[in-house]
Amino acid sequence: MKLYLILGVFLCFSAAKAEQETLVLVDNLNIRETHSQFFKSLQDRGYSLTYKLADDANLVLAKYGEYLYKNLIIFAPSVLEFGGLIDTEAITKFIDDGGNLLMAGNAAAGDVYREIASECGFEMDEESAAVIDHFNYDASDDGDHTRIVVSPKNLINAPTIVGAQNTHPVLFEGTGLILDKDNSLVLPILTADSTAYSYNPKSQVKEYPHAVGRKTVLIAALQARNNARIVFSGSLFFFSDEAFNSAVSKVHGDKLKAESSGNKALAAHLSAWAFGERGRLRVRNVQHQRQGDKVSTNTYTITDTVVYRIEIEELKNGKWQPFEATDVQLEFVRIDPFIRTTLKRQPSGAYEAVFKVPDVWGVYQFKVDYDRVGYTRLYHSTQVSVRPLQHTQYERFIPSAYPYYVSAFSMMVGVFLFSFVFLYYKEETPKTKSE
Amino acid sequence: MPATAVAKPENGRNKGIFHNTAGFSTLITVTVLSLAWLAGFASRLFAVIRFESIIHEFDPWFNYRSTAYMVQHGFYNFLNWFDERAWYPLGRIVGGTVYPGLMITSGTIHWILHALNIPIHIRDICVFLAPVFSGLTAIATYLLTSEIWSRGAGLFAACFIAIVPGYSSRSVAGSYDNEGIAIFALQFTYYLWLKSVKSGSIFWSICTALSYFYMVSAWGGYVFIINLIPLHVFVLLVMGRFSQRLFVSYTVFYIIGLLLSMQIPFVGFQPIRTSEHMAASGVFALLMAVGALKYLHSLNPKGQWKQLLIVGGFLAAVAVFLVVVLLTYMGVIAPWSGRFYSLWDTAYAKIHIPIIASVSEHQPTTWSSFFFDLHVLVCTFPVGLWYCIKNINDERVFVALYALSAVYFAGVMVRLMLTLTPVVCVLAGIAFSILLDLVLREDEMCPPPVESEESKSLYDKAGKLKKRPHETPNGASEAGLGMNVRSGTLIAFMILLMLFSVHCTWATSNAYSSPSIVLASYGNDGSRRILDDFREAYGWLSQNTAEDARIMSWWDYGYQIAGMGNRTTLVDNNTWNNSHIALVGKAMASNESAAYSIMTALDVDYVLVIFGGAIGYSGDDINKFIWMVRIAEGEHPKDIHEADYFTERGEYRVDSEASKTMLNCLMYKLSYYRYDSGGSPPGYDRTRGALPGNRGFKLTYLEEAYTTEHWLVRIYRVKKPDEFNRPRLPVAKRTISTTNSVSKKLAIGPGTTTSKRRKGLLKNKPTVVKGKKVARLE
Repeated sequence: MKLYLILGVFLCFSAAKAEQETLVLVDNLNIRETHSQFFKSLQDRGYSLTYKLADDANLVLAKYGEYLYKNLIIFAPSVLEFGGLIDTEAITKFIDDGGNLLMAGNAAAGDVYREIASECGFEMDEESAAVIDHFNYDASDDGDHTRIVVSPKNLINAPTIVGAQNTHPVLFEGTGLILDKDNSLVLPILTADSTAYSYNPKSQVKEYPHAVGRKTVLIAALQARNNARIVFSGSLFFFSDEAFNSAVSKVHGDKLKAESSGNKALAAHLSAWAFGERGRLRVRNVQHQRQGDKVSTNTYTITDTVVYRIEIEELKNGKWQPFEATDVQLEFVRIDPFIRTTLKRQPSGAYEAVFKVPDVWGVYQFKVDYDRVGYTRLYHSTQVSVRPLQHTQYERFIPSAYPYYVSAFSMMVGVFLFSFVFLYYKEETPKTKSE
Repeated sequence: MPATAVAKPENGRNKGIFHNTAGFSTLITVTVLSLAWLAGFASRLFAVIRFESIIHEFDPWFNYRSTAYMVQHGFYNFLNWFDERAWYPLGRIVGGTVYPGLMITSGTIHWILHALNIPIHIRDICVFLAPVFSGLTAIATYLLTSEIWSRGAGLFAACFIAIVPGYSSRSVAGSYDNEGIAIFALQFTYYLWLKSVKSGSIFWSICTALSYFYMVSAWGGYVFIINLIPLHVFVLLVMGRFSQRLFVSYTVFYIIGLLLSMQIPFVGFQPIRTSEHMAASGVFALLMAVGALKYLHSLNPKGQWKQLLIVGGFLAAVAVFLVVVLLTYMGVIAPWSGRFYSLWDTAYAKIHIPIIASVSEHQPTTWSSFFFDLHVLVCTFPVGLWYCIKNINDERVFVALYALSAVYFAGVMVRLMLTLTPVVCVLAGIAFSILLDLVLREDEMCPPPVESEESKSLYDKAGKLKKRPHETPNGASEAGLGMNVRSGTLIAFMILLMLFSVHCTWATSNAYSSPSIVLASYGNDGSRRILDDFREAYGWLSQNTAEDARIMSWWDYGYQIAGMGNRTTLVDNNTWNNSHIALVGKAMASNESAAYSIMTALDVDYVLVIFGGAIGYSGDDINKFIWMVRIAEGEHPKDIHEADYFTERGEYRVDSEASKTMLNCLMYKLSYYRYDSGGSPPGYDRTRGALPGNRGFKLTYLEEAYTTEHWLVRIYRVKKPDEFNRPRLPVAKRTISTTNSVSKKLAIGPGTTTSKRRKGLLKNKPTVVKGKKVARLE
């Protein structure tokens, strides 16, 4: 018994630890120093970081079919080819198997970066292209106007991802990203201002830049359908100590100034979201039954009143707690939704809907599909069948049939009386009817 | 009676001794009938002997499944059974959409046998039900024929129907279908009807109604009865053969039969609501009117009443007709259903209801199948019909009407051959009986006793009609008919009958005894190879897929998937919802991505297609495909166009000249995906004799889950949306071109991947030199 307990505790512990296992791929071990604040914030939150050079010949993500890491950080813009067993395919497979990825590049990033970005549904601009903004560059810029100041207004409106109060402007230096318009899963976390464009700062602008104005995305994120999260930043500088510590002072315009940049806070929020500390939902329990019944059933009769109850939990500070929202909806679907209703939150923390099953029999599904920016997709469907009335469930006597009842019973009485007449009436003149 | 004895050679020895007592003739009758039963039963066992005791084809699987359900859960649960495994996601109320007679019959047998402690599996009862009932049909036919003509003719008819291929096609062992018991019910109802018309007794009418009730519970073909009997009554009225007997028998039968038929949930209010049943109520009203007029006439049998009777009867008929038309026009009575329209207008279904036209057994009959199913009977039954019309009486009017209508319907639909067969047997039995009467009479030396016996068994005017067939040949040739001619004729006809029975056995054995879920092929050396791909695939489904997996296939295989695979199906052989079938047809006819959106909307987990190209099986889905297109086009004329699937010259082909739509539709892809078996060029399609035009393609939204040994059944798994995890940007859509590093790595791959330790590549990798500061990476 005790052994089991210890084993259980150990398992829980190791499972919790596995959540935090993170591989950091750098192209230069210096990055450990230059980005020490960011890595420290991760370590403070309990991640165990394993630093490896990107061209290390011993790189592996998985051993014996089990992933060694839950999260992957790639801070290696100059990589042309990963060492060991890692390549674009291995990374995409890692994502498809549920791993999280935080990736940052810069203007010098090679084609591997572009490959991985494209696999996730967005594109990184050409090599040596950088986001240039002649109106919003920082005072510390070295003349190319590539170290730009981005106002927090350009952040995506999703507190789960970028944090609730992020008021400081952020510094950015790196290349721009282009989002696929048809792609509904990719999120532009941070976009450039309308005056920005992405081009090689050293050369003259000859062609129309690939990314112009607000379409230039600086940080993009993807939450894949298996809830794996990818954050892709065009700037490695964004995560550096230098960016974290420096004061911001915009040269032109509204003189945006701050004692320190918002980079630190934003980077912490982004990494917390990317590694699944926040914005995770799960279904704890689903119940549905006929109103008044205690036990759950899989078969309803048409026009039954059904109570559907779902408990949803959110991961908050490492603990699963009841999720609070007002916009969770339930659908009752048979090809098309027959009923769509908002679930009401009960004091107990569960969401509940009471509705009448439609007067159409068939196989239905209770569907809760809660898909909000920043949260993992919550999808739960339960199949039930709605059957027609049984032969005993119809009304026995219906008012419109009373004339028929009367005629039937009067006929019976009539025949009964007639039989007496027939038996005891003696005809005086016996005469055959037929001829 | 002597004819009977000779007809069955095994009874020949009894010839001399039996005409003194009735007991002998009963003995002969019983012997012949039980032998007919035995022969009929035995000739239907080919399938069981060749293959195994298994349910055949498509519909029987549903019947078997519901019978098993009823036996397991009881009748009331069966009546209320809501089958969520069929017609996903609509479901099917089985109790209300099925003729339960078949299930109740075998369920009752099962119950009785178990009450007697005979533990027999319900499947065996189902398999052997139809052969057993063929014996009952033979007896019912015997009764019917002896009611119409003579007991000798009855024995002939019974022997015919026991083995005739037209009937055994639907009643071999394992063919557990409604028709198997319905033909018995049909014949028996007709027998009782004739009995009640003859006797005018309420008892027989009620028996008719009860038998009719059994028929209603067993088969949709009961409509034939409820139209034929009123037609009989109507024709008798027109012929001026109204009688109290007719009045009593029809009114009692109609009312009781109507009430009883409405007790079947599937029939419900149809008998008073639909046009198919209106003839019966119209004739009922007409009969009442005529009866009333007759009564008035009988009160005062003077001259002027006579005209009143005729005019009144005529007016009543017109009034009844107009009322029915008016009610139909007002919508109180449902108009004729499509299936019935197609009986009058054979092109109707082809234009308006492709789903009816697509079924092979709804095609018009070819003359050769008349001969194949009936052999010599098809040539002899007009003789019997002629004799019946020549010696007309109330019952023979009926059999004449029966024969004429059945011939018409059998000509319209192959399937209705089944209703023609019994009457052909009856009339051919009469014809043979007359012939043998004629040929053998001289030998007997004592015709008078026979004739008196005949006249006893026959109804009115027996003496007269018996004389007629006797007289005609008398005048023509009896004088010249010598011993040799007689025996020659006799031998000739015996040979004919022998050929008939040989043909029957051959046809039943070769054409109708294939279970169609197990195929057999024969090699050049005569060796037999069993292709058990269907059961292999259904077995795979039942073992390897989730309990609630939903399988999409064309509707033909719905019952089998449910019966053998025990999985949810979208459409099945109960083709009650055309639009749902059209949706499946549309999915099969669309390209992969359009099909995928339909399939996800319908929650499809697996797709099953039948592909016969590898073994040359012609009943596969590609050959049926054009009907899927037509049915889909009927419901979705904007998305599917039949012409797109043909070549420019209007040919239906699958090779490189086929149209683009055809080569990219889901059905084509699922059939030919990864196909490299078949003929001398790998991937040759042996069924269509062509090399498929689109080969080597990949599937995006589906993946192959299982293919059976001979490629006959192919099962694909539909990928779930979350398997398209990342919205990848395809290379073609990228604005920024990259030198594809993935391929670069693969290019150097084969040589180097053997060693796991492979160094990566960094751009301007800083070379660390002692004493020098590392430059910042750019």
